[in-house]
Amino acid sequence: MVRLIKSEIFKLLKKLKSWLGPLLIMILVLIAFPLSIDISQFDLDKFYFSIIVVSILMTSFVATEGMFEEDFEDGSLEQEFLLEKDFYKLALAKIFVFVFLIGIPLALIGAIFSFANGVAFNSFAKVFLILSLSNLLLFNVFAFGNALSINKGAMLGVLSSLPLALPVIILLGSSIRTIQYGDGFISIIALMIGIGLLMSALMPLIISAALKTHID
Amino acid sequence: MISAFIHKFSSPKSYVRLTEKLYPFFIVLGVSLLTLGWIWGLLFAPQDAVQGNSYRIIFLHVPSVIFAELIYFFMAICALMHLVWRVKLAAYLIKAAAPIGAMITFLGLFSGSIWGIPTWGTWWQWDARITSTLILFIMYLGVITLHGSFSNLIKADRLMSILVIIGVINIPIIKKSVDWWSTLHQPASISISGGSSIDPSMLYPLLISIIGLGFTLISLGILSSRSYIFTREKNKKWIAEHV
Amino acid sequence: MFDLAFSNLHEILDMNGHGIYVWSVYALGISMIVISFSIAKKRESLAYKKK
Repeated sequence: MVRLIKSEIFKLLKKLKSWLGPLLIMILVLIAFPLSIDISQFDLDKFYFSIIVVSILMTSFVATEGMFEEDFEDGSLEQEFLLEKDFYKLALAKIFVFVFLIGIPLALIGAIFSFANGVAFNSFAKVFLILSLSNLLLFNVFAFGNALSINKGAMLGVLSSLPLALPVIILLGSSIRTIQYGDGFISIIALMIGIGLLMSALMPLIISAALKTHID
Repeated sequence: MISAFIHKFSSPKSYVRLTEKLYPFFIVLGVSLLTLGWIWGLLFAPQDAVQGNSYRIIFLHVPSVIFAELIYFFMAICALMHLVWRVKLAAYLIKAAAPIGAMITFLGLFSGSIWGIPTWGTWWQWDARITSTLILFIMYLGVITLHGSFSNLIKADRLMSILVIIGVINIPIIKKSVDWWSTLHQPASISISGGSSIDPSMLYPLLISIIGLGFTLISLGILSSRSYIFTREKNKKWIAEHV
Repeated sequence: MFDLAFSNLHEILDMNGHGIYVWSVYALGISMIVISFSIAKKRESLAYKKK
């Protein structure tokens, strides 16, 4: 497992556009949106969270695009299968590395921008926590979509994973409301942690089944 | 024992033979009941006190939405059978059912939107149930697109089955969304466990429409699945004997 | 329960101003079902012919 995590970190850091690209897209969207709309700061504060949520959704999808494609094309998947007999550890390692190297920075950027747009200082940590957990959920969902479509293009990945991602977004919207109105934060966080742990345990299993089908 | 039972009754050959006998019965029953339900509902059921005559869309909308979910649930059971017991027929049935499910979900969404105009003053609202049904429609499209993307049909069957099983978690979300989130959409008027909140003069044609649409869709599913089976099994000896 | 809710054809089509909504939905529903059956039937006959 450590070997896999190290190799995934190395692969991801080698391809600058894979991890830096989504972060820059996120920053671009969060800067461009207030510039493109002529409204007061008061009105912007009301729905800026929604922009952050949608940006997280888009950048998570962009970040995970082609997650398994390179390994499929160059034969690494088959080699991994010969070593481990399934892809559970590989999927888990990939998702962990992507969440750690891309998801957490995305959450940090989102939290900083929310802080700059009306969130009180003591809510900064809450926003960061919620965005990190939502990235964990979204990366699991989009990794599944990528495992199904592998090298068939982004559209298929979107169609496969969007129905699972949208309930996560609805949950995220509810969680942002708890910060805005100061009620029920602990229960929402507990729910997200529970779903996150369940997904992190089960999704690599499902991804493994999908990847095995591709190399059969 | 379960495996032996499943494999005895789930060969494409047995399915084609069985459905040949059942199809005329289902289509006649389906179309008759649907016609009866709709004529009764459209022409004989009294006007609603609040919604006037626009409520008559209920006799198409409610059956459509019920079967939109049921068809996906059926697909999920087939997906489980395909993945666990390697039943080929189950994959063929998913492939045949997905476009029917997509069509009926679209009909449910369209009829709901049209009904919303005189009732709520809007054709669309981002409330929980409507959004969940839209997500269900996207799921059907995802299943159809996924299967069509792979030239290796055996691989396509397995991937499609995996996607269907994962997507099935959305079904209880749709079912319970009206209770979990406060929403514009009215709560369920009829339930399996409890009674009904609508008058019998409207309830009976609704129930008849639901049963009629069910049999009609089963007939459509039989037709679609048979043509797909003939295409997939074209090199088998039993096909030549059958034709 | 089995009395006609309308007195003439015009009332049936108009439905107190809601006729356009009701009939457009049923027209689409019936056409979709009929078209689906036609496509399925055609595919089945094509599949038979290929044999």
